[in-house]
Amino acid sequence: MSRLPVSLLHLRMLALLRLKLSETLRSVGPLILVVCVLQIAVVGASAAVFLQFLLGSVLVTVGLLLLFAGVDLGLLPMGRFIGAALSEKKSLVLMLAVAFAMGFATTVAEPDVIVLAAQADAASGGTLPARSLTYLIAAGVGLFVAIALLRVVFGLSMAWQLTIVYGAMIVLSLLAPSQFAPLAFDAGSVTTGILTGPVVLALALGITSVLSGRSAVADGFGLLGMASVGPIIVLLLLGLLR
Amino acid sequence: MTGTAFLEDLVLTARGVLLAVLPLALLFVIFQLVFLKLPRKEVSRIVAGTLIASAGLFLFLLGVAIGFMPFGRAIGTTLGTFSDKWLLVPFGMLLGFVTTWGEPAVRILADQVEEASTGSIRQPLVLLAICIGVAIAVGAGMFRIGYDIPLLWLLVPGYGLAIAMIWLSDKDFVSIAVDAGGVATGPLANTFLLALALGASAAGGQDPLVQGLGLVALIALAPILSVMALGLLVRWKGRRPLESQS
Repeated sequence: MSRLPVSLLHLRMLALLRLKLSETLRSVGPLILVVCVLQIAVVGASAAVFLQFLLGSVLVTVGLLLLFAGVDLGLLPMGRFIGAALSEKKSLVLMLAVAFAMGFATTVAEPDVIVLAAQADAASGGTLPARSLTYLIAAGVGLFVAIALLRVVFGLSMAWQLTIVYGAMIVLSLLAPSQFAPLAFDAGSVTTGILTGPVVLALALGITSVLSGRSAVADGFGLLGMASVGPIIVLLLLGLLR
Repeated sequence: MTGTAFLEDLVLTARGVLLAVLPLALLFVIFQLVFLKLPRKEVSRIVAGTLIASAGLFLFLLGVAIGFMPFGRAIGTTLGTFSDKWLLVPFGMLLGFVTTWGEPAVRILADQVEEASTGSIRQPLVLLAICIGVAIAVGAGMFRIGYDIPLLWLLVPGYGLAIAMIWLSDKDFVSIAVDAGGVATGPLANTFLLALALGASAAGGQDPLVQGLGLVALIALAPILSVMALGLLVRWKGRRPLESQS
C-alpha cells in the first residue's frame, strides 16, 4: 500500500471512501433510525427540530465517512511511525517527554476541559483560578500517559497498576467533599479527543511492535484509558486539599 | 434555528477542530524533521489523511451540535413528562446502545483491537461489549435520576468490582477494557445522552448540572466492566473468541 506513488493518492482515497461508506452507514444508521421511530411514536418534536436533526444526520454521516477514511490514511500511520521511532531511539527520557507533552498539549486545547475547569473553580469556592486548573488537569493527563508508557517499557504488571489507580480513586472519592466527586469522575471524558485517540492508540501499538517480548494487545492498549484517569485523580486531590 | 446561532456553532466547532489538530500537527512536524525523515509520498499521505480527518470531524461535530443536541433535549423533556419513572430506564438503554454504536472512537478502538490481535479478537465482539456496557450505564443513570440515588453508591462498588475483575479476567481484555472506558465518552454521548439526562432531571425538579454530570462518569465506568466480563467469558470458555463465535 505504501509503495503507491503520490499521483495515485486520489485513487486510493476513492477506494478507501467506498470501503468506509458501508462502515459509516452501519455505524450511525441505527441511531438515526431509532430517533425517527421515537419521533413518530413518542416524542413528536416540532417539525423544525426534527428537520434540523435530519440535516444534522447528513452532516454527521458525511463527516464520519471522511473521518474514518482520514484516520486510516493519515492518523494511524502517523501514530505508528512516531511510536516506532520512539522505541528505536531507546531514550526513555525522550519517550516520557513525548508522552507527557502529547497528553498535556491535547488536553489543554480541549474545549471541554475549559468548561470543566470553570465548574471546578466554582465548586471549590474559587481557591484555584480556572486557568491554572486547566494546566493542572492537563499535567495530570500527561503524567498518567507517561506512567502508562513506563509500564509498557519496563513490562510492569497492568493488574497492579490498575488496582492502585482505581483503589486510589475509590479512597479519594470517599474522602473528597461530596460535590467534588461527580465533577471529578466526569473529568475523565475530557481526554477523548477523536483525532488524538487514534494517534495515541497507534503510537502505543507502534512502541510495543518494536520492543521485544511485548504482547500487541495486552501492552499495546491501556494508554488512552490511563489518560482519562489523570484528571479524575487530580480533581479529587484538589477537592481534598482545598 | 437562527442564523446567528448557526454561525456560533460553526465558529465554535471550527475552533475546536483546529485546537485538536494543532498539537498533533506540531508533534508530527517535529518528529518528521528530527527523527522520522519519511519520504515525501508518506508525508503527503499523512498530511492528506489528517486534513481529511479534520474536515470529517468538523462536519461530524457540526451535525451533532445543530441536529442531535436539540433533539436529545426534546427526547429528554418528553421522558421527563412520563408518570412512570421506570420507563426512563429502557429508553436510556436503547439510546445508550445506538449512540455508542455510532461513536467513532469506539469503532476505531474495536478495529485496532482486531488488527493488533491479528483477528483473534473480533471487532464486532468488542463493539458489542462496549455498547452493552454503555446501555446498562445509561439505564442505571436514568434510574439514578428517577429515584435520586447518590452517584458514589454506583461508582464506588463499580470500581471495586473493576479491581476484582482485573485479577480474574484475561490479560488482553483488561487492557482493552481500560481504553474502552476512555473512548466511550465521546461527543455523541457527551451531547446526545447528556441532553437526554438534562431534560429528564430538569423535569424531575433535580439539579440538572449534578445529575447530568453523573451520567458521563457511569458511561466511562461501564465499558471497563463489560469488556472485562467478556474477558472472563473468554477465559472460562478456555478458547479464543474466534472459535467460540463460529
